[in-house]
Amino acid sequence: MPSRRAASGRHVLAGNEHAYPRLRRVKACHPIASFRTIFLGFALLACAAPAGAAEPQLGLILPCGGQRGTELDITLSGERLGDARELLWYGLGIGVKRLAADAKHPQQIEARLAIRPDCPLGPHAVRVRTSTGISNLMTFSVGALCEVSEVEPNNDIEHAQKIALGTTVNGVITNEDVDCFLVVAKKGQRITAEVEGLRLGLDFFDPALAIMDTRRFVLASADDTPAVWQDAICSILAPADGNYVIELRESAFQGSQRCRYRLHVGSFPRPLAAYPAGGRFGETLEVRWLGDAAGPWSERIRLPAVPQLDFGYCARDAQGMAPWPTPLRLSKLRNVLKVEPNHQIAQATRFQAPAALNGVIAQPGDVDYFRFAAKRGQVFDVRVLARALRSPLDSVLTVLRSGGGVVAANDDANGPDSYLRFTAPADDDYIVQVTDQLHAGGPTYVYRIEVTPVEPQLTLGLPEREAFVDVTVPVAQGNRMAALVSAQRDEFGGKVDLEFKNLPPGVKVETEGITEADGAAAVLFTAAPDAALGGSLVDVIGRATVGPTRLEGHLKQRTSLVRGQNNREVWNQYTDRMATAVTRAAPVAIEVVEPKAPLVQGGAMELRVIATRRPGFDGPITLTLLATPPGVSTTSSVTMAGGELEASIPLTADGSARTGPAKLIVLGHVAIDGGTVVVASRFAKLEISEPFFRFTFPTVTVEQGQAAELAIAVAKNKEFTGTAKVDLLGLPAEVTSQPRQLDAAAKEIVFPIQTSGKSPLGKHRALLCRAVVTVAGEPVTHLLGTGELRIQKPTPAKPAEAAKPKAAVAKTAAPVVKRLSRLEQLRQARAQVAAAPQGRKP
Amino acid sequence: MKVMPRATIGWHVPERSEGRGVPANHALRGAQGRATERDPRSTNSWWGSLHSTHPTVSARPALLLLVIVMAGGNVLPAAAGVKLDVYPREIHLQGASAQQRFVVVATRADGVTEDVTARAKATLADGKRARLEGNLVRPVGDGHTTLTVEYGGQSAPVPIAVAAAAATRGVSFKLDVMPIFMRAGCNTGSCHGSARGKDGFRLSLFGFDPDGDYFRLTREISGRRINLALPAESLLLEKATGAVPHTGGKRFPADSPYYQTLLQWLETGAAADAGEVPKVEWVELYPPQMVLEGKGVPQQMVVRATYADGSQRDVTPLALYLSNNDNSAGINAEGLVTSANPGEAFVMARFSTHTVGSQVIVLPAGASYTPPDEKPVNYIDELVGAKLRKLRIRPAGLCSDEIFLRRVSLDIAGRIPSDDEYRRFIGDRAADKRARLIDRLLERKEFSEIWAMNWAELLMVHTTLDMSYKSVFLYSNWLTEQIAHNVPIDRMARELLTASGGTFSNPPTNFYQVEKDTLKTAENVAQVFMGIRVQCAQCHNHPFDRWTLDDYYSFAAFFAQIGRKQGEDYRETIVFDRQGGEVRHPVRGGVMPPKLLGGPQPDVQGKDRRAVLAAWLTSPDNPFFARSIANRIWAYFFGQGIVEPVDDFRVSNPPSNPELLAELARRFVEYHYDFRRLVRDICNSHAYQRATRVDGELSAQRNFAEARIRRLRAEILLDCVSQVTETKDKFQGLPRGAHAVQIADGTTTNYFLTTFGRSPRETVCACEVRTEPTLSQALHLINGDTVEQKIAAGGLISRMLAEKKTPAAILRTLYTRCYGREPSADELRRLLGLVARQKSEKQALGDVFWAILNSREFVFNH
Repeated sequence: MPSRRAASGRHVLAGNEHAYPRLRRVKACHPIASFRTIFLGFALLACAAPAGAAEPQLGLILPCGGQRGTELDITLSGERLGDARELLWYGLGIGVKRLAADAKHPQQIEARLAIRPDCPLGPHAVRVRTSTGISNLMTFSVGALCEVSEVEPNNDIEHAQKIALGTTVNGVITNEDVDCFLVVAKKGQRITAEVEGLRLGLDFFDPALAIMDTRRFVLASADDTPAVWQDAICSILAPADGNYVIELRESAFQGSQRCRYRLHVGSFPRPLAAYPAGGRFGETLEVRWLGDAAGPWSERIRLPAVPQLDFGYCARDAQGMAPWPTPLRLSKLRNVLKVEPNHQIAQATRFQAPAALNGVIAQPGDVDYFRFAAKRGQVFDVRVLARALRSPLDSVLTVLRSGGGVVAANDDANGPDSYLRFTAPADDDYIVQVTDQLHAGGPTYVYRIEVTPVEPQLTLGLPEREAFVDVTVPVAQGNRMAALVSAQRDEFGGKVDLEFKNLPPGVKVETEGITEADGAAAVLFTAAPDAALGGSLVDVIGRATVGPTRLEGHLKQRTSLVRGQNNREVWNQYTDRMATAVTRAAPVAIEVVEPKAPLVQGGAMELRVIATRRPGFDGPITLTLLATPPGVSTTSSVTMAGGELEASIPLTADGSARTGPAKLIVLGHVAIDGGTVVVASRFAKLEISEPFFRFTFPTVTVEQGQAAELAIAVAKNKEFTGTAKVDLLGLPAEVTSQPRQLDAAAKEIVFPIQTSGKSPLGKHRALLCRAVVTVAGEPVTHLLGTGELRIQKPTPAKPAEAAKPKAAVAKTAAPVVKRLSRLEQLRQARAQVAAAPQGRKP
Repeated sequence: MKVMPRATIGWHVPERSEGRGVPANHALRGAQGRATERDPRSTNSWWGSLHSTHPTVSARPALLLLVIVMAGGNVLPAAAGVKLDVYPREIHLQGASAQQRFVVVATRADGVTEDVTARAKATLADGKRARLEGNLVRPVGDGHTTLTVEYGGQSAPVPIAVAAAAATRGVSFKLDVMPIFMRAGCNTGSCHGSARGKDGFRLSLFGFDPDGDYFRLTREISGRRINLALPAESLLLEKATGAVPHTGGKRFPADSPYYQTLLQWLETGAAADAGEVPKVEWVELYPPQMVLEGKGVPQQMVVRATYADGSQRDVTPLALYLSNNDNSAGINAEGLVTSANPGEAFVMARFSTHTVGSQVIVLPAGASYTPPDEKPVNYIDELVGAKLRKLRIRPAGLCSDEIFLRRVSLDIAGRIPSDDEYRRFIGDRAADKRARLIDRLLERKEFSEIWAMNWAELLMVHTTLDMSYKSVFLYSNWLTEQIAHNVPIDRMARELLTASGGTFSNPPTNFYQVEKDTLKTAENVAQVFMGIRVQCAQCHNHPFDRWTLDDYYSFAAFFAQIGRKQGEDYRETIVFDRQGGEVRHPVRGGVMPPKLLGGPQPDVQGKDRRAVLAAWLTSPDNPFFARSIANRIWAYFFGQGIVEPVDDFRVSNPPSNPELLAELARRFVEYHYDFRRLVRDICNSHAYQRATRVDGELSAQRNFAEARIRRLRAEILLDCVSQVTETKDKFQGLPRGAHAVQIADGTTTNYFLTTFGRSPRETVCACEVRTEPTLSQALHLINGDTVEQKIAAGGLISRMLAEKKTPAAILRTLYTRCYGREPSADELRRLLGLVARQKSEKQALGDVFWAILNSREFVFNH
């Protein structure tokens, strides 16, 4: 497969990496300027100049977007940005002319952007790379229209802010705010308003739009337009020459300072759907744009030849172009278009699978049919793409036999979109039927149904170490960092090899690939001590062999930008590369002391970690495991106290832990100026083995105040030398025992148990043995159990003669191999009582 | 009510033409006036004026008759002009054991009824068909005959049909035994009908599960409760007759017919009924209406049940009797009504699952009455007037223009009239100024907002875990739009009931999001749109109404197929018809087919069940919908419904004026459910425009003879305080200056609103709005932060002082803007004296303002 993407459009700061550029003065009129002076004062008072802190945080970019073909100044505010070096752009078309960061003002940096005239419209994902880390991801929106800022007061029609048609307004909707904008239009002129609110990825902002005449008659209104999620598009053809007002508010008057918006107002076209909504890689597709106020029109579009994440196209006509791309599906499937009439099964449009079926549920209650032939046993995936392509359709998919019997049906497998897999039960014609769940329909109810044989697919991911914090890989100079790469496999097994393209110079990568048994693989990144500070977006490629074909998959990383109640995800940004950077040397390095002895199933181990500290650094180091092998668990973290150089991480393996070699990586987290630097250990090999022996516990019953013996049967699994020290744990209060030694040949281990008159009555089921074998000088701890001890009330005093034989039994029984169960003991005692001379009076 | 046939009525018109009566002069209210009222001729002169001037009268003979009957006063001697009624009007006897009682009722020309059964002469035309035992008719042979009843020179024939006169039927468990359990009180909630039974024996509450009762009686503990070998020694009988100790005591004696029936059943093997037993289709209670004069007047009732197979049965001895007002008329266990104090009562009989009732009016003996000389404005006045005449209640006069302006402004728009509105209205000399004011007020958006609020309360519009503020906001706005655009209420109800789609994209779908439980949804629909509370029938047959478990679960089946799924925005829910899902009967377990409450079982095959229900519910033939909504609208303007509580229509809670309610409902349908027109009718009526009376009495208010003093609802009171102080409120989720009636979310908290009993909108019950006064309300007005702060924040006094207004002018303004009237000369003099004594004029005037806002005159609509 050809390279998926050229190098990112990033701009590296010129000059010495260690020389901080001077803070550039921003324009006095910028709304942020006044705030800045306030916290500038705070910063000077509160802290001495930090040397650059790790874990930079980006909170807001203002303005939230810009016009392409222009240069503009932006302010990026957040935390620990004082040593910013670079803006890492995931898309093409935005260059950075200047980046001004000042260690004294870590909460804000400024940049001058140069947006190329051909820069794609819509969101551009960006991270800030600093000397010590990589920030979270945010988006910056690029538009085609000239930009103005909202000017309050503009809360009603009388105070509407006058703007020209063809303007993008950057503004904010605070609590219960209403923003009004006045435009002048000629009769028949298209007035379109589109707001980017939620799509800016800042807050759960749900804008609502209306276009009114100056007498307050609402000509069009929109709250949630499916084409743009919770955002809104509103469009009319002006009924007369005159003034029109665009009103923007939060749909339930619940704005906030983070409810920023970009409102595009103009005569530009704004279709709500494309038909067909996709085509083959590299083909020139005739697309019919639907849902525009001025009616449909067609445009020929050359589709990209290679896969692109979330591909879309901004519709154009003589009046301009839409401000946001309409999604188009790229695939290798042939398009089949619905042929009218198509209202009954008999009129089904015929096609040959595989194919992409395209149509529109144009009227309420409309049902569309397609017919194809399949052989018995053929398996097909039938996937509806409707909401995925921002169609209002809520599909219901049914596959029927030619005679009408339902073979399979689905409603909402993929959100509101339907998906099903079915096996053809016979050689027959099959009907694919699609309709709207609410029996709705309309000109923009476009769908695309992909009917394909089952095909293997691979997508890579970066599992988050902390919920909703997307993974980046900042590698300190002369140190290591690690990440997990996961594989989402469809229809194939086997190993996935990993390749990392476009790593920063001086960074080496080490991984064993993703085995079939594991969903993810640990990847270790090492930066040479002399590696230059720098960053890149790394293309992570997974490769697998599936039968005769080689399968390739790429990274799809989700960044959760906006979440609602209970952290429900509302707005995510997907990216296809992994942000990696070489950062300044970290103050610590950690190593795992590779255990020589194995960790046994059902056993425990202390994993020793040794730290090397840079002189002068004695902060605590928090240690975590990047991942644990299946069946092995550990605590969430262990803290190596300040100044210490060693710590142990407890590992325990459950009885079913996978045996064999495993590789561990320990991460060390150190706090520097409020941020965290993370370093990784090397891979440490850990052998997980079966236990050396297994214990079988009998249930022992004893009366309060009596002694008993717990004889545990020992079955040896594995040879060992020397003796094992065995402790009996889990005894209730007032019950004691003694440790025992177990030699390699022993078949049984016997613990004396002594109770007192106060030993708690009842069943004590938590008896456990800790057996420690020494291998290569290291302890191998087994935790073996569990057994049960029953403590009973003493039986009433028996005749004196009865006690005798019991004592005799105990005496003689001890050396005898055969041990008596409680029941046997009782039977024996009874037999003896019965056999004793009759002492009773007649 | 039924209209009496013209031929039988004591119809004395001639006096009318004489036209010599003294006009009933409402100015004559003194001793002379009372004397005039005693003059019997005055009623006729009143009638004369009514007849000669009212254009609609000739078109309403039915109403006229009623007016005559009720207005007749005590003009006629009791014997003259008697109308004779025999109940039941025809008798069907089937089977050898059949019997039928009858009662004879004589109605005097003045409408007073008498039970003359004992005095009337009854003869049978053919003794071979039936025989008479007192007032009991028993069969002799198959065929037809006639019973003729004569009294006071009149006679009434009663046709009798006898069938299967020789056929005897064994004792049936369901037909004969089960009614005894109810009659004897065995299966009430405090006895064996309790969910856990009593003393180890359980019967289904009011007999909702006869099969279960049969099982428990005969099979649950073998050989204990019944003894087939020695039937008379069955515990069932011994307990019931008190022969052995019984917590419930002796229920009936051994010589009673109940005992005989049970014994006979046991003697014949205590068999279960073979096959289906016909169900009781309906029950009649006779006489349907009584007007009793004086204390201690008796009237025997007769109860007849009609079964599904068409057979009829005299169940007078098996029915349970109940009166809703023993103070006026009590009813004993044998169905004998006895009058007591003057007033109105509703006596009921319950048999099987049916409860039926009759109205009893008790008049004081020998009292005189003169109806007022007042032209009715519209049908409302005619019907209210008719009822008042029936009860001999004189209505209050009309209220003054000032009071009317304030009352109607508060009721329709929720605002106190402004100074300007006040002056314009008072200065207006036109005769129709009240009507024009009503029209103007109905156009105001506040009217829409108030009714959107009223609906939002019924529909429980408030945020929950499943209802985001956005949903609530959109839903509330949708309601306001419906009313602002005058969408007919039937259409609004249909849209709510059949709503599908997203709770954001189609706000009425929130109806199914507020309550997701199928059974509760059904209960809410019945209560909101039909005014019926069916909740009881979830567990047992309704004890005071007709609703059975079957009715309940069959009605719930309409809501069994509602599908819900999360929308793309997680706050949004998509509501759809999933075309699958059923409701099962909790006792029998079978699938319940959808059946309309009190209606047929419609065809729902392949249809959205909700649409079928909505079409029926809002069809003009539906007996509940228009009545229920009309009653709610009426209640809003009168402070009480014709049925009260407004959402508790049931047999045992009859309307205070059934004719009025029926007519309002009929008009509402005729107006295509445009409720503004109904409001217009109401507000234009004299009934609405009556003055309040200091010594107002319950019966007069219940029959709308005088206006009721009503405390302003929390939202409207706060809006009025803000209005008169010229301050703005801030409610969560609404812009500053929004009105309290606009609050979309029931959970919005505000101390003032909570204290004054704002509805939390947690149930559909109309009782959630509280207008009872509490101590904390008074304290909050006196020293809470609302009144004091608003007076200060509004700066009204300072502004008026700055405008160089005199204290007298300021006081006048305060009075007109708060009370809608000028201060009296005395009030003004005393207040000016008060102000003059204070050092600070501003402080003193502020204190007066505070006192006004704390006064009852401000807080109440009167």
